[in-house]
Amino acid sequence: MTTASLHGFAKARKIYEDRGLRARELKAEGKKIMGYYCSYPPLELITGMDFVPFRVQGSINEAITKADSSIPTIVCPIIRSSLDMAMKGKYDFMEGFVTAHSCDCQEKFCRIWEHELKLPFHHYIDMPHVVRENSFEQFKEKLIMFQKAMEAYTGRALDRERIQQEIRVHNRQRALVRKLYDLRKENPPLLSGAENLEIMIALMCMPIEEGSIMLEEIIQEALSRGNGPGEKDTRLMLWGSPLTETNLIQMIESLNAHVVMDDICVGTRHYWADVEATSDPMDGIVKRYLSEIKCPRTFRESSSTFEEEMESRFGYLKDFARDWHVDGILLQSVKYCDTHGYEVPALKAYFEKIGLPAMYLEHEYTMAAEAQLKNRVEAFLEIIA
Amino acid sequence: MKGKYFAGIDIGSTMTKVIIYSEGIRGQVIGPTGPEHRHLANIVMEDALAQARIPFEAVDYVVATGYGRINVPFADKQITEISCHARGVLHFFPNAGTVIDIGGQDAKGIKIANNRVVDFVMNDKCAAGTGRFLEVIAETLGVNIKDMGPLSLKARNKVKISSICTIFAEQEVVSQLSEGIPVEDIIAGLHEAIAGRAFRMASKLKIEGDVVFTGGVAKNTGMVKALESHLGRPVYICREPLITGAMGAALLGKELVEKAMESGKAIKIKERKLTTARVF
Ligand SMILES: Nc1ncnc2c1ncn2[C@@H]1O[C@H](COP(=O)(O)OP(=O)(O)O)[C@@H](O)[C@H]1O
Repeated sequence: MTTASLHGFAKARKIYEDRGLRARELKAEGKKIMGYYCSYPPLELITGMDFVPFRVQGSINEAITKADSSIPTIVCPIIRSSLDMAMKGKYDFMEGFVTAHSCDCQEKFCRIWEHELKLPFHHYIDMPHVVRENSFEQFKEKLIMFQKAMEAYTGRALDRERIQQEIRVHNRQRALVRKLYDLRKENPPLLSGAENLEIMIALMCMPIEEGSIMLEEIIQEALSRGNGPGEKDTRLMLWGSPLTETNLIQMIESLNAHVVMDDICVGTRHYWADVEATSDPMDGIVKRYLSEIKCPRTFRESSSTFEEEMESRFGYLKDFARDWHVDGILLQSVKYCDTHGYEVPALKAYFEKIGLPAMYLEHEYTMAAEAQLKNRVEAFLEIIA
Repeated sequence: MKGKYFAGIDIGSTMTKVIIYSEGIRGQVIGPTGPEHRHLANIVMEDALAQARIPFEAVDYVVATGYGRINVPFADKQITEISCHARGVLHFFPNAGTVIDIGGQDAKGIKIANNRVVDFVMNDKCAAGTGRFLEVIAETLGVNIKDMGPLSLKARNKVKISSICTIFAEQEVVSQLSEGIPVEDIIAGLHEAIAGRAFRMASKLKIEGDVVFTGGVAKNTGMVKALESHLGRPVYICREPLITGAMGAALLGKELVEKAMESGKAIKIKERKLTTARVF
């Protein structure tokens, strides 16, 4: 089955279910696929070099069998699963692979990948973890290195006009994603949290402009269809570590709650901020990827008091909660995720201070013990009812 | 709410408990959930109805709780054991601030403020630190579970149990037995280990107010003592620590009906027919 005849929700579902489907079709047409990890490798540079970006993810439905021969089991399960999928040939359409120093796990991941997979092209962007005056210069240098590496590999130069054009293409997609999220401000929301995640994941596995067309179709469909998610008592926001499947959200939405907003990297974190138009377009890209993506991997220089620091770090979540009429927030994290785990105490303190009920929900990547998780969420819903 | 009857049924991993409430407890039955009784939630209910001397049709609202709650076809509503335990505890101890519940397959801590649940913690992923752990070890020791508490109080040198895993702890116990360590010292050591785990779990909630200990394990006097020594204060225990969940379920049902009547809304109830419950 091909994706050519599919549109809107159906297309997103199909690509969500078979992540490599579109990429394999494109490869057969002679297109080059560049795998990337996380939300930090600037996609404008990848599409500017005529690569189709493909977000590499793990899968909770695939038992890890091969990757254990490479990395020990105490590390991030999502990375283990991603490597496992690749070692089993699920990503064999990829020409290259790019990672950035987003969380510390990924610092070493690119080389392990190179060692195990030996793709024609690998690149690691060693981006700074702090947002200070000189971090921007440093990050810009690393991005120029990335650009040069791709240029050397393809034998083609990437000029300013092309980067500017790519910025417009990606910003258009970001605007459409924000429009899609607006549909969940309604009560009841016009699409479910699980549908939304399917769409986000599908978008990351297909060409950008094609994804934008799909988004427009989905928005039209959502506005005109009569069978949205229906009435429920509680509206939740989901914060936390990456999700590669909809199972967790589906479990939550099988209860009396909608997931109406998120702060995850297969959601708002990936799409929220635009790249500003700057005379050197690289400056806008640098600013957006280093300081506008709100992921706990970034350390932001603290203000004088705890209150001020919390407000500057988490104020955007308060705005999300207000605009999406959120009743409670689930701070979810997969086990072994240091990046998110260390953020939980401050977040809990912040939500307590602003009076928004929050619960920390830790889960196994495979969603083992789902019944117990469900029981916790149910109890949380009873508490905030 | 004169003349109205409310039923609460708590299907736990080990025990099924039913309360029939109408201005006081009219029926109270505790029966096993176990494999051979898995279909018998309705029989426990029938026993409770017989005690209350009412037919099932006379029950105004039925709330099911406990981990088997979704499998009670005759319940009008399902509510988690967190909310039900808290409500049941508040009925017996209005000043309760913290509930520590240790049942057959889980242990939980619940924090209460202004008559509401404000936070909770749970260990429900592993048998370690639960009543099941004690049952397994009791069997290994050849001691009746009911005698574990009184026996442990005779201990002179309680042993240290270092494994938290049920299987490994069992091995440890076997080797201690072979070393000739008195059974009561071993049991006291086990209670110490489980109480320590429960205490550390509940401490995440910043323990405040009166502490009430519920669940089947609260029947074990050795556990009560061990928990008190960790807490550094007495714990409160219901006369029947098994029934707080079912009690809370009945009372929450009553409140739902009252609320509906106040607001003039109709409340949906199921057809009053006792059918076999599927627990597994
Ligand atoms: N009379 C007793 N003395 C000591 N322990 C008991 C007694 N009755 C039950 N228990 C303990 O209580 C546990 C069952 O507790 P319960 O709260 O009913 O669990 P659940 O709700 O999971 O069925 C048993 O595993 C056992 O350890």
